[in-house]
Amino acid sequence: MDPELLVGTLSNVLISSAMFTLAALGFAFIFNMMGILNLAHGAIYMIGGYVTYQFAAVFSLNPWAAILISAVVFALFGIFLEKYFFRPFIDNFDFAVVACVAISVILQQAVNIMVGTKIMSIPSLAEGIFRAGLVSVSYERITIFVIGGILTGIVLWFVWKTKMGQQMQAVTQNREAAALQGINVNRVYAIACAIGSGLAAVAGSLMGAFTNLNPFMGDAMLLKVIMLVILAGAGSIGGVVIGGVVLGAMNAVLPVFLSGEVAEVIYVAVIVVLLLFRPQGLFGHEFTMK
Amino acid sequence: MSDNQLSKDTIGGRNLVKPSVYGGVVIILAVLPLFMKSPYWIHVFILTFIYIVVTVSFRAIAISGQFHLAHAAFMGVGAYLAGMASKWFGWPPWLTIPLAALATAGIGMLIGYPFARLRALYFALGSLFFGLTIVNIIIAAKDWTGGWPGLTGIKPLISGASKIHYYYFFLGLTSLCLAALYRFEFSRIGINLKAIAQSYMVASSVGINEAFYRILALGVGCFFAGLAGATYAHYYLLLSWTSFNLAATLWIVMYLIIGGKDHFAGPIIGTAILIMVPEFARELKEYVPFISAAMLLIVIFIMPKGLAGLPQLIKSRFLERREEPRPQVRASSMLSERKPE
Repeated sequence: MDPELLVGTLSNVLISSAMFTLAALGFAFIFNMMGILNLAHGAIYMIGGYVTYQFAAVFSLNPWAAILISAVVFALFGIFLEKYFFRPFIDNFDFAVVACVAISVILQQAVNIMVGTKIMSIPSLAEGIFRAGLVSVSYERITIFVIGGILTGIVLWFVWKTKMGQQMQAVTQNREAAALQGINVNRVYAIACAIGSGLAAVAGSLMGAFTNLNPFMGDAMLLKVIMLVILAGAGSIGGVVIGGVVLGAMNAVLPVFLSGEVAEVIYVAVIVVLLLFRPQGLFGHEFTMK
Repeated sequence: MSDNQLSKDTIGGRNLVKPSVYGGVVIILAVLPLFMKSPYWIHVFILTFIYIVVTVSFRAIAISGQFHLAHAAFMGVGAYLAGMASKWFGWPPWLTIPLAALATAGIGMLIGYPFARLRALYFALGSLFFGLTIVNIIIAAKDWTGGWPGLTGIKPLISGASKIHYYYFFLGLTSLCLAALYRFEFSRIGINLKAIAQSYMVASSVGINEAFYRILALGVGCFFAGLAGATYAHYYLLLSWTSFNLAATLWIVMYLIIGGKDHFAGPIIGTAILIMVPEFARELKEYVPFISAAMLLIVIFIMPKGLAGLPQLIKSRFLERREEPRPQVRASSMLSERKPE
């Protein structure tokens, strides 16, 4: 294998892992705590990218400021979703699915009407190419990977070390017992949804800067995110990061050897087999419907 | 499924209201083409008939507590098997349709065997990814299935027939399938399935073989999904994998929940409403998905039992005066597993 391909693949692995992890953390929070399969997560990821585009390209703001604005907007949107769409259906899987599908249809169609299928891309976050000997990697890739890594690290620190994060873990383990200990469960949900939606918007923006935006990019990411959460297992946040690396490696390495379609078959088949033999995922515990 | 309804529907075979309503609807649909000349609307009705079979068969699986998120993919299995047999081997439709339906049922049961160990959410996720596997295989095997652009060159079901002929064919087929599925649900097997959905532990303890009945429900549901898919292939003559992907399955779930999953009529009403109402508003073009989404939100927030539960809801809200606080109408989840107390 020539070094060019090797470095290219390696940087793809790193970027896919960072993006998948970033997008999946929010989904994992909501899934672990509320038992809701948030099918609107992909739409939030997609529309987050478009909002960043709006601020960065149309209002010609600094791209970093645009990403920050998008993250804040969608964090607020996450709180709104939690209050009016997730909390009423917390014990009702099917109605939660219906609510999420309705929201995702509305968001996707709104973007579709407003921008259509024009190909657009967020202004580049970093220019230039890093060269060392034979290998060369663009600074943009490095920046995206570093941002993804830093944000993941902050979230892990938040979940493991802060008081709020420990409350989140407690709610994940047992909702009623956590409430009995005086934890404000609804506030924990709201914060988890805010962080999750904000991270999804950041991931969408970074992906939109790296490749380009289209109204259906959320669907593909949503499937990857669900796979990742199954791979990690319910209740495990550290597992999401490791699962992200595994899935990112599969995503970047398989197409080198196989055609894209066959690689897609292999992914999902791996997930089905994993579910059959280890439904609790690689790191989690079995999830019980309350 | 509330207790009194279970007993009313299973024992009260003398009740003539329901059969007369169903019969009246079929008669109205049978004379409808005399007044409705637009071929486009005939086409919409035919699609509605096909999807009614798919949604009701989805419910036949759902009553056993299995959230089968690969249902559209299984419809696709039936459609592609019939289409490929027709295109590559030149088999006539009267042969491909039953064979495709049986093969789909077989695949469903084969998959049901390992999946019988998964319950509730895990079954839902497992079937979701199995459905994706099917769709990805359809895309990958492009020499056989046509891949991305889709499969063409399927023989028509009735050669040289107009839409009206198809209309009556599908009206008859749908009525037959619904009668069969109704018998299935209110038979001994259906009651066992509902028992498993309520509590698999209690059901097992009274001697119901959980795995057997769940696999049976999958087989029956997939048979009708495959049948609908195969007839769809021979009617539409163009198959695309986009009709069978996750979004398609989710729309089947929407049809069921809009209509109300606790009633046999629920999926029928839900499918008809969600397919027809956007067609009435098709001048609005791209705003049509907003109408569908608005209907979904209205139902889940206002009518927890769906449209089929609306009479019951109105009765309990307005017509019955009672002293004691009225019982709250709450929807139970398809996945809720009640733990033994």
